[in-house]
Amino acid sequence: MNSSSKPIKTIALNKEHTAEFLNKLIKNYRVIAPVDNGKTIRFQEIADSDEIELNYSNTKLASKEILFPQTEVLFTVKKKDGKTVIEKPKPIEKDWVVFGVRPCDAKGLENSFKVFASGAHKDRAYLEKREKSIVIGYACESPLSTCFCTSVGGSPSGREGMDILFTDIGDKYLVEIITQRGESLMEQASGAKQPSKEDLAAAQNIWDTAEKSIKEILNLEGLEEKLDTMFDDPIWDEISQKCIGCGTCAYLCPTCLCFDIQDEETPEGIKRIRTWDTCQFPIFTLHTSGHNPRPSSKERVRQRIMHKFCYFPQEYGHTSCVGCGRCIRECPVGYDIREVLVKLEET
Amino acid sequence: MAVIRKITTENDLNDLKTFELVIKDSEAREAYQYIPGQFGMLSYFGVGECPIGIASSPTDEGYLQFTIKKMGTVTTALHNCSEGDIIGVRGPYGNGWPIDYIEGKNVVLVGGGFAFTTLRSMLIYMLHDDNRSRFEDITVVYGARSPGELLYKYDLEEWGKRDDLNLVLTIDRPAEGWAKNVGFVPSVVKETAPSSENAVTLICGPPVMIRFTTPVLTELGFSPDNILMSLEMRMKCGIGKCGRCNVGNKLVCQDGPVFTQRELMDMPQEY
Repeated sequence: MNSSSKPIKTIALNKEHTAEFLNKLIKNYRVIAPVDNGKTIRFQEIADSDEIELNYSNTKLASKEILFPQTEVLFTVKKKDGKTVIEKPKPIEKDWVVFGVRPCDAKGLENSFKVFASGAHKDRAYLEKREKSIVIGYACESPLSTCFCTSVGGSPSGREGMDILFTDIGDKYLVEIITQRGESLMEQASGAKQPSKEDLAAAQNIWDTAEKSIKEILNLEGLEEKLDTMFDDPIWDEISQKCIGCGTCAYLCPTCLCFDIQDEETPEGIKRIRTWDTCQFPIFTLHTSGHNPRPSSKERVRQRIMHKFCYFPQEYGHTSCVGCGRCIRECPVGYDIREVLVKLEET
Repeated sequence: MAVIRKITTENDLNDLKTFELVIKDSEAREAYQYIPGQFGMLSYFGVGECPIGIASSPTDEGYLQFTIKKMGTVTTALHNCSEGDIIGVRGPYGNGWPIDYIEGKNVVLVGGGFAFTTLRSMLIYMLHDDNRSRFEDITVVYGARSPGELLYKYDLEEWGKRDDLNLVLTIDRPAEGWAKNVGFVPSVVKETAPSSENAVTLICGPPVMIRFTTPVLTELGFSPDNILMSLEMRMKCGIGKCGRCNVGNKLVCQDGPVFTQRELMDMPQEY
């Protein structure tokens, strides 16, 4: 959507005015924000700004699920007057405002957009939602020990993939407007002030502190070129040994976009459904003949690393990994992608 | 959506059928412009979708043909269809055979078993009156397990009568009434020994056939740029998004399915 990262305008908005602004938006937009639903904090549609929970480091599920839901109906095949007809989902009427997206996830949205918008055939189901969405980011004040965004070209205050970036500076937000769409949205806010020197300094301090708190800095210089020569390296046997192939990493990853397409018979007709899938499952590449180009964990783990750190960079010029650390936090066997990358760099 | 206009059973085992489809909507039918070597995504609604190479030629106007082997759930559902039934068709997808590159050259088609489909598309295209002069000598080496397993017997008969085509048919083991070649495709290619001078070869067949045929072609002097192959991978979307058909950084659905041997040498052996 946007690749420019410099704000076109910066304002200060106090928290009361922000709540008022969001409630105003709810009337005309579908506003989606992080909500604490008891067990996890998850992005969902809100009816009032009070529902928003911003006191979190990162959501368990990446915000990719907003634009790329775990299951989604692509079309329904119906019988009408004895004829077979295809019914597409209704077009999105209201624009969406996605509020409170952490910089790593927003960068993930940007990386995902590149894939769905690339090539001769665009992914209309995804692009429609992306084009209708205005993304309001939320600067990260306290990265977790598993975070490594700065090693993969990101930052706790990165602006990529956003239209607007909010930074919490106490009783107000420093609001950086990055795109024209962001600008026209923010025009609907009342009480916007020119930020004071103190406001700017406070935000800068938060950004710097957050960035400095990330202790794990990986040197991934030249990794893409190196991986390009390592396809047949025996190290993949070692690297894949621990993995149980559960796919948790891929399901939580902001940039894992692999999907399956299935038909489901329902009373309303046959629904063609897109669901998340992962290259970590053996059936993913299994031919009907029984042949499988990626028959074991070794090939599948290699594919995931290669795709993020070699194939994707070859196509788009940078890694698709955004360093959110979800795959490290939630892996049932303690597989740490940072250790793997270091090992690959050192081999 | 398309209507199945005609179903032709192709082999004795009855697990290979050619489906002739007519896209219902005239605009969509007009828009389905393809070149030989491309594929379509066929749907049996309620069961699913799968990629199938297009067996007809762009010179066959108004309809599409797909030859399908009964293998999994979708192809089985399609095999159970009757003429007049409605199925889904998307496409065309993939790069197809590089016609511009092949034009003006001698062409050697090497096919094995039921993988002959997109070679047939190419052959019909080249043999068409409008196109025949654009290509030099055409040699076809096509093999199957037994005479009954050869696809498109009706075409083979017609092609056999032509003098602007060297059609070499072979079966794996001797069979009653079979007077043509007996032997595996690689050795028959060796015996046929097509010249590699200003020539390009297009190969489709089971992996084992490809593995033993390419060295023969290399020996005959075909450079890796002039050995073209079509890969198969499991696919869901066909448009480069679902993530499962990549070989290295190449997507078989989009960058392929046709690759030169030289391209394949630079790609990981993961197909």
